[in-house]
Amino acid sequence: MADAFVIETVDLRKRYGATEAVSGLSLHVPAGSIYGFLGKNGAGKTTTIKVLLGMARPTSGTARVFGLPADVPGASVEIRRRTGFVSEDKDLYDSMTVEELIRFTAGFYPRWRGDLEQRYVRKFDLPPTRRVKALSRGMRTKLALLLALCRGAELLILDEPTSGLDPAMTEEVLQALVAHVSSEEMTVFFSSHQIAEVDQIADHVAIIDRGRAVVAAPLEDLRERYRRIQLVFDGSAPEPAFRSPGVERVQRNGRVLSIVSSAGTDRILDEARALGPVSVDVAPITLKEIFLETVATEG
Amino acid sequence: MLFYKVWLDTRWRFLIGLVLLFGSAASIVLAYPKVMQLMPLVPSVNAGGELGRRIREAAELSRSYRGYVWSQWFRQQPTQLGTLFAALLGTGGLLSQSAGGALFTLSLPVSRHRLLGVRAAAGLAELFVLAFVPSLVIPMLSPAIGQSYGVGSAVAHAVCWFVAGSVFFSLAVLLSTVFSDVWRPLLLTCGVALALAMPDFVFRDVGLFSLSRVISGESYFRTGSLPWLGLLASAAISGAVLYAAALNFARKDF
Repeated sequence: MADAFVIETVDLRKRYGATEAVSGLSLHVPAGSIYGFLGKNGAGKTTTIKVLLGMARPTSGTARVFGLPADVPGASVEIRRRTGFVSEDKDLYDSMTVEELIRFTAGFYPRWRGDLEQRYVRKFDLPPTRRVKALSRGMRTKLALLLALCRGAELLILDEPTSGLDPAMTEEVLQALVAHVSSEEMTVFFSSHQIAEVDQIADHVAIIDRGRAVVAAPLEDLRERYRRIQLVFDGSAPEPAFRSPGVERVQRNGRVLSIVSSAGTDRILDEARALGPVSVDVAPITLKEIFLETVATEG
Repeated sequence: MLFYKVWLDTRWRFLIGLVLLFGSAASIVLAYPKVMQLMPLVPSVNAGGELGRRIREAAELSRSYRGYVWSQWFRQQPTQLGTLFAALLGTGGLLSQSAGGALFTLSLPVSRHRLLGVRAAAGLAELFVLAFVPSLVIPMLSPAIGQSYGVGSAVAHAVCWFVAGSVFFSLAVLLSTVFSDVWRPLLLTCGVALALAMPDFVFRDVGLFSLSRVISGESYFRTGSLPWLGLLASAAISGAVLYAAALNFARKDF
């Protein structure tokens, strides 16, 4: 792929009346990555995806996919030709049968993968003659995934792909997705509010809160950088003002002072030791904790 | 493939319209002998005002089979059932809450102009069938009651019906890109059709400016010449309204 970033947004804003759904979002999704787009309900994930696919026009800022401007109609058609999409509601044509919908969709994509279609129809156990409206939620999700995966797409955009599924079905869908991506050269951009599934399959993460990215980095990088430093004092913990960069959050609780750092620990530890704690403990933190800390801090 | 999708979305409206109009055309033809039997009673009808005038006019027209067919079918059905089904075929679409799969459609590599263009073309094709097939039933069934009706006349009236009726179809398409339900576009289109028909009741001689007279092909019935100006104006209005619908649809957020 020629572009370093498959998706690139710069100061993207989308306003619906008085509500700013996306407010200054800057994202850079590297080619070949599995990019988890994490945020609470209503954080602006779906609106961002709609802007990327030309379903909604940005109020200001830029959104580019494959280097093409998402808000230009002709470019948007080309973006959609190269992108597979699964919507949150698994919004499909209820009046068609599974077979009809597959044939219908295949007609739009010259690079449609008939081999994958056969494989996934069998793997997902999809009944070809059943009407879409008669499918269970899980079957519907699998059909939506099949329709996205077989397009021969370079990019998959999945909006809450496992929402409404039970844990077993969630696992099955995620495994299918990972297996597909490992065998095909493609980028996956998926939104979720399920931290565990992002942690399970993503290699890059952006956390979005109230329409803007509060964290965006490779997952390994986050795991390296984020630490919780716990200081225990003889008496009440002091209320220090740390000057070191990367202090995300400081919390006092009796004799304990807890610090979340996003930029390593060396300089903070120097400052912390100067406070005279009786013990200092440094521990890595999980993606869930990072999410809660960053979103809570912003809130 | 998009045509197939539009067909799935509109087929029941279309088929119900076709059955109703087909049945209406057939019953009007088959009822002619009975109407003829009742004709001697008409002079005894003592209704005054517009209703009385209309009854007497219908009776006068029904003295000939051609006049009967025009007054009972081409004068009434295109402006009533025809307009209703033109509006029904124009409603719906991606903005409508009842449109399943809207985001799926929008994720396809197809421009909004093409989406609306296919929908308009499929709807106009259905409207064409609704105008022509029931109209052609009349010349085909007439021999069964010992009458004849020219295929050319039926086609000429169907052309008037289709072209002028497309104005209401286009208006419904435009309103469906404004409102996110089916009912407001339908009711507003029917309301506009009613408002346009009112001058015919109030002022009897609005002639050239009456869309309902273009739909009914009145000038063709009375003089044998098609209402070319009305047809051209209808086609131009219909095209302009569809263009406005395409522009509005292209700038919609979903």
